[in-house]
Amino acid sequence: MSSRPPAQEMSAASDPVRRLSRRRLLRHTVATAGALLAAAPLSGCASPASASGASSLSVWDLFQGGDGMLMDDMIEAVSQGAGGFDVDRTILDWGPSYYTKLAMSAAGGRASDVAAMHLSRLAGYAPGGLVDPFDLDLLAEFGVTHEDFTPAVWARTQHEGTVYAIPLDVHPFIVFYDKEAAETAGLLDSSGELAPMGSPEAFLEAGRALAEATGQAGILFGHVTDTAQSWRLFAALYAQTGAAFTLPDGGPPKIDVDAAVRVVTFMKQLFDGRTNPNDLDYNGALAAFTSGRGGMAMLGEWELPTLKKAGIPLGAAAFPQVFDRPAVYTDSHSFVLPHQKDPDPARRREAHRYVAEMLKQSLTWASAGHIPAYQPVLAEPEYTALDPQSSYAEAAKAAVLDPPNWFVGAGSNFQNRMCQPLQSALLGNTSAEKAVRQMVREADALLRQPNPVA
Amino acid sequence: MTTTAPIGAGTPADPPAARRTGGRDRAVLRRIRTTPSTGFVFVLPFLLVFGLFMVWPVVQGLWMSFTDTSLALRDTAFVGFDNYTEALGDPDVWSSLGNTVFFTAVSSVPLVLVALAMALLVHSGLAGQWAWRLAFFAPYLLPVTVVTLIWTWLYQPDLGLGNQLLTTLGLDSVGWLSDESVAMWSIAALTVWWTVGFNFLLYLAALQSLPSTFDEAAALDGAGAWRRLWSVTLPQLRRTTALVAMLQVLASLKVFDQIYILTKGGPNGSTRPVLEYVYDVGFTGYRLGYASAISYLFFALVIVVSLVQLRLFRQED
Repeated sequence: MSSRPPAQEMSAASDPVRRLSRRRLLRHTVATAGALLAAAPLSGCASPASASGASSLSVWDLFQGGDGMLMDDMIEAVSQGAGGFDVDRTILDWGPSYYTKLAMSAAGGRASDVAAMHLSRLAGYAPGGLVDPFDLDLLAEFGVTHEDFTPAVWARTQHEGTVYAIPLDVHPFIVFYDKEAAETAGLLDSSGELAPMGSPEAFLEAGRALAEATGQAGILFGHVTDTAQSWRLFAALYAQTGAAFTLPDGGPPKIDVDAAVRVVTFMKQLFDGRTNPNDLDYNGALAAFTSGRGGMAMLGEWELPTLKKAGIPLGAAAFPQVFDRPAVYTDSHSFVLPHQKDPDPARRREAHRYVAEMLKQSLTWASAGHIPAYQPVLAEPEYTALDPQSSYAEAAKAAVLDPPNWFVGAGSNFQNRMCQPLQSALLGNTSAEKAVRQMVREADALLRQPNPVA
Repeated sequence: MTTTAPIGAGTPADPPAARRTGGRDRAVLRRIRTTPSTGFVFVLPFLLVFGLFMVWPVVQGLWMSFTDTSLALRDTAFVGFDNYTEALGDPDVWSSLGNTVFFTAVSSVPLVLVALAMALLVHSGLAGQWAWRLAFFAPYLLPVTVVTLIWTWLYQPDLGLGNQLLTTLGLDSVGWLSDESVAMWSIAALTVWWTVGFNFLLYLAALQSLPSTFDEAAALDGAGAWRRLWSVTLPQLRRTTALVAMLQVLASLKVFDQIYILTKGGPNGSTRPVLEYVYDVGFTGYRLGYASAISYLFFALVIVVSLVQLRLFRQED
């Protein structure tokens, strides 16, 4: 009678599967079979061991949508001609699952030749040997050296002096604004760009002015049920106070509690639920901004292609400096060499050449809104002509990444756990002091765990 | 049936011989059936798969829970009961376990009662039977991603149908997924909508197999509809209720995917079930050994719950 045999149900306790019923199993089997059938014609370019042959370079990345198409264009560009590559690209869903798969493939020693990784995750991969180091001489041979990157970003590519990642871009958390609303609110300078804010009060005032200009919301920010947004905003503002946030192994975390409380208090003032709604989720904020129901939105620059399509007079600027010094929360898509047990030297050489060639395609990548990490591209007139990309390119200089430790970075538990108390504070459920105390407690709990990668 | 077979070797050319051969075959078959080892051959494929994908992982997971196995490349050391000690002292284990138990409590009861009510309604002879059955069962067929997508829209704080309705009625909007005291209830509501169809089917099948004689006899004796429901139908459904409740509690204890997609355990960890904590620790946090220890603690709890339930229902019977 039961199609959910209890014996099998219980065994799944070690496995996060909701329930295993016969019906469900059948449905999944049929769905899987269907997916396999549908994927069959594509498998030639999706599986490493396929018709494309052992000579093709296998690459893994997490770029979907617009980014994914640009990546395709870049791969196509480097694949042409006599020195072209035969690239076998695998796209995986971004987030914790991508990093789990990457780690597992590297732990198995048979990973792809090249993979994409957020620079903020490197501290969880390099110490444990999940990624192999780059040969800088080899890269130099193909025309790429450390001088091609900003020191702020290059410093994060290393573990104990060895380079494990080559950054493709810098993707900061920035502000987008409606040029007309900003004009009406008197926030633009003589050249039509967003004028510097300079103080928390000025930013609050800007929010009120924008709300008046749009007749609805001032500044939009989606954070509800989001596992990264609040942390990005907090980290940007906290770095602007000049205080340090470090996570030394074994704990306790080094956080300037006063500065953190100052920042969270400011965030609460900024999103007080009147001029700036405090209860939006990510898509809600995006939708409100694209439909003209707000004057400014705090988002990652990767939303540029979406926003450009919305038809609003779009401006973009580096995250405004409101505290003591300029700082912009940033991450960076990088190339890494996932660990292989017996790397073939010739393939490794090709992997280095591939990375170098891809960097030189950065202009294509920049059209999605990303700031190229490869500096020679920034100097090209084609890049300066990109609007509004070039208006926030300076953000790379004030880049602040997550404090390095094995558990931090894009799609990590750390960001999620930092976002939870911040969400409570922004929703008005808890005070800034309590939220900061909880953040310190969470960071401390993570630090006191035994390090699984050292 | 081959024509090249030597004559006299009992070929099917001779019908009586064929019958005799058939008789011999049956005898052989009977002998085979009585040999236990032959049955074993038939279940061997199942046992192989069961052993490879069920028993072996369970054993290996148990072993792993006594080591500091990591997802990263590093040497694994035996750590004895360290992981278990750490788990028992980890407030996140207890809070996520509490969330799981809370979810089980608030989802199982409606999942049983609503299913029963729906089955009784449909069984009572509503017009358009097939439409009701389809409507009640259809959500169960949806994949979790679709279900969570629908409900994300319903629960959207600003534009969602839920808050639109409330504000139209002049009420305050609710933080469906952002209010710590509401979020788990929202997820329970979603889960009831999504999975109640399965229990509904079990109840409906049971109702349809009930002999009508008792009901008719009670009706002849002048018992009203409510009286017959309480005193005739429900007692006859007791075994089904026991089964549904038991399966439901086990299923609810294993809640993971809708929560993971909807809230990632937020707000403030208030909806994080213990299985998500296992996932977070093991896969996002690389600590497979520690994650195994937590799942074995949970495994033990599930076994205790099922044994207690089994005992309760047996006494009832």
